[in-house]
Amino acid sequence: MTAPGDGCWHCGEPLRGSPIHVRVADISRSVCCQGCGAAVEWIVQLGLGDYYRLRTVTAPRPRPHDAGLDAWRRPEIARHVVRDLPGGQSETMLLIEGVRCTGCVWLIERALLGAPGVIDAKVNAAARRARVVWRGGAATLPQLLEILSRAGYRARPLDSQALDDARRREARDALKRLLVAGFGAMQSMMFAAVLYLGAIEPLDESTRGLFRWLGFLIATPVVFYSAQPFFAGAARSLAARRLGMDVPVAIAIAAIYAASLVEALRGGGHVYFDSVSMFVFFLLAGRHLEMRARHRTGDLTDALARLAPPYALRRCLDGALERVGVHELAVGDRVHVNEGGLVPADGVLESSHCRVDQALLTGESAAVRRSRGERLIAGSVVEDGPAELRVDRIGKDTTLAGIAALVTRAQAERPRLARAGERAAARFVARVLALTAVTIAAWSLVDPSRAFTAALAVLVVSCPCAFALAVPSAITRALAVLARRGVLVVRPDAIETLAGATHVVFDKTGTLTEPVLAVAGIETGRGLTREAALELAATLARESRHPAARAIAVAASDRGMSAADNVRSETGRGIEGTLGDRHLRLGRADFALEGKAVSPRHDDAVVLADDSGELALFRLDERLRPGTRAAIDALRAQGLTVLIASGDSARRVEAVAAQLGVREWRAAQLPADKLAWLAALQAAGACVIAIGDGVNDAPVLAGADVAVALAGGAELTQATSDIVLTGERLEVLAPAREIARETLATLRQNHRWALVYNLAAMPLAALGLVHPWLAAAGMSASSIAVVLNSLRIGRRREHELTAEPGAAVTPRSARAT
Amino acid sequence: MNALVIMIPLSLALVAGAVWAFFWAVDNDQFEDLETPGLLPLDDTNSDEPGA
Repeated sequence: MTAPGDGCWHCGEPLRGSPIHVRVADISRSVCCQGCGAAVEWIVQLGLGDYYRLRTVTAPRPRPHDAGLDAWRRPEIARHVVRDLPGGQSETMLLIEGVRCTGCVWLIERALLGAPGVIDAKVNAAARRARVVWRGGAATLPQLLEILSRAGYRARPLDSQALDDARRREARDALKRLLVAGFGAMQSMMFAAVLYLGAIEPLDESTRGLFRWLGFLIATPVVFYSAQPFFAGAARSLAARRLGMDVPVAIAIAAIYAASLVEALRGGGHVYFDSVSMFVFFLLAGRHLEMRARHRTGDLTDALARLAPPYALRRCLDGALERVGVHELAVGDRVHVNEGGLVPADGVLESSHCRVDQALLTGESAAVRRSRGERLIAGSVVEDGPAELRVDRIGKDTTLAGIAALVTRAQAERPRLARAGERAAARFVARVLALTAVTIAAWSLVDPSRAFTAALAVLVVSCPCAFALAVPSAITRALAVLARRGVLVVRPDAIETLAGATHVVFDKTGTLTEPVLAVAGIETGRGLTREAALELAATLARESRHPAARAIAVAASDRGMSAADNVRSETGRGIEGTLGDRHLRLGRADFALEGKAVSPRHDDAVVLADDSGELALFRLDERLRPGTRAAIDALRAQGLTVLIASGDSARRVEAVAAQLGVREWRAAQLPADKLAWLAALQAAGACVIAIGDGVNDAPVLAGADVAVALAGGAELTQATSDIVLTGERLEVLAPAREIARETLATLRQNHRWALVYNLAAMPLAALGLVHPWLAAAGMSASSIAVVLNSLRIGRRREHELTAEPGAAVTPRSARAT
Repeated sequence: MNALVIMIPLSLALVAGAVWAFFWAVDNDQFEDLETPGLLPLDDTNSDEPGA
């Protein structure tokens, strides 16, 4: 049950001015705007008022009606997102933004199932996807999208390929492998226990033989089925002439298994079928958690790759249109894009003008106006058209492909720490193999009959448990602890870098501050009342999706609606139109007051003017995200230097920096400037964490040692990042760094323990002094010690946090304050 | 030792059965969404089911 304190009942935003009241279950609730009010009424009217009881996080704020939805009505566009099922049914996969908790899942499923014709709707909260099946004639895709948009969720249909996802198969295979390994580990341990007990109370040889072969029976599927990814990975990295992480693992598994098999055949010594099963199980458990984290963000990156449409409409020489595959396009072709269609390749606009939505590329939800001769980027959506463009870059050369390639390259260049780990593991394996060889050689000279047993003892006593588990057990535990706190670690390397970071660079807009602007003050002139000024401004502002315009539209949302004519917007500057016989201009001062005197008080304000001059001035205010100050203080208390790099004007950045007590900041930074600053810091020896949410932050994030993205930000940014803050709360950063440090400390302890154990056990084994049961007991004890040690990660802090009532970390309380 | 004759096949049969059951569950979408079903019992307005 969520009562978002004194904020809006629906979205939790603070209430401004006189709130609007709606009735939910006979109790009057206050909401912040008409949009939220409509969403609440609609949800209650559908009989889904329980949503407010079930949710754990407040709802996304509903957006104004999205005109682009109707485009999906066209069959040629719907064709590649809708799959026809037998019996006249249709199926589609939607990527839904704004799914915040399981309450959302409940609401979305119920709302969709309540629509006529919908047969099945299943939402996966982790992947933010919904699979919807409906009867072809009874519902249309735009109707379904409209239902979601009215409830405040923006949905985008995914390519129909998403329906049978290779990733889903991978997840299922991994789960099955993990289960087989888990059962195998348990069962082979049971059988092995008999053999261990046999060392105390001697068993007859036939019983021992039986249990050895039972172990073999259980371990065989574990090695050949569950451990198969390790062998495949090792083969891949050997083929690429590298000693990858999988190589020592594969050698270890193969060696223990083969050695145990030989021992079983010889009918003597000790078998290690239980160890190999447990080894595989623990490794797979670590991999499984990693894979799940990867899939969560990967789902979003995938949507990016699928954006480019698979076909294009090419204009032939005789003027007719023909449908061709995108791969058939050539530079110089003329391409026609229908309203609502995706631009298939980069090109120059040849029709007079159009509006395009480049949200996925820029994170900026405002549609941009393009005129003849300007460039369109592949992957953007033509909002009003049609548009005709001449292709000048195709396939790999397009901006979209370029960004994707940049991301891939940034990802490929990063794992230097992983390589260091791999080298260490490879060295360890090399040493063990060398010691084994020495043991064989030495025993061959002394007593050839004992050479094999001793070599085996070295191989087994050294290899699997402590050393191999030291890293995966600690990392796995850390990933799980962090994920519970809303910190999704996409690349486990980041844990190591996070712990060693010295500087934090924050983006301002959308990261330190809320992504939504609010009207803070209105100054009017020429006898206009504030309300009248707001109403006039909102007439124009409703036509634009720029954040500033949206803020004005929202502030005026409960006032009368009048529509302006001849509306024309100029990107980044403002919007103009006529209302009655009055020509109005709204935007930056240099746009609204074109040709008239502009004074400093106009800086950063939105100005409303008509032909005779200024009418009103709107001051927009950015609100700091809740908890930002505490988050920054906590980071500073850990000895980190906190910096702000923003593309915004100096005045605003300074105001935010002063509020947060940040001394070092830079304003008016282009992405390249930010990157240069970052490089300068790194050259001076700093290890930098960068935190951002927009696509303009993507290059900076790619260049930083640790990249942190907010889950609400642009998808590309998340794809570039190492860590995604799913709760969008900055105050988890400092504890996350604590946990990272703890993880590294634990990792070092594990390694040290493994080293001590190995240094003690291996010489004894090489000298033939280690009894089989002693080796097995020592090995199990050491692996248990490592696992238990790893499980301590995050425990201490959890106690501290639950001990202080003020420091509770649930999203709910953080939002309510 | 006679106990072993029963216990060993029994344990093997149990493991095989458990693995089979899990494979069935994985293939039948039982692990696709682990969060939403937990909420369903809280929904007391579920009128789809008779007598609810």
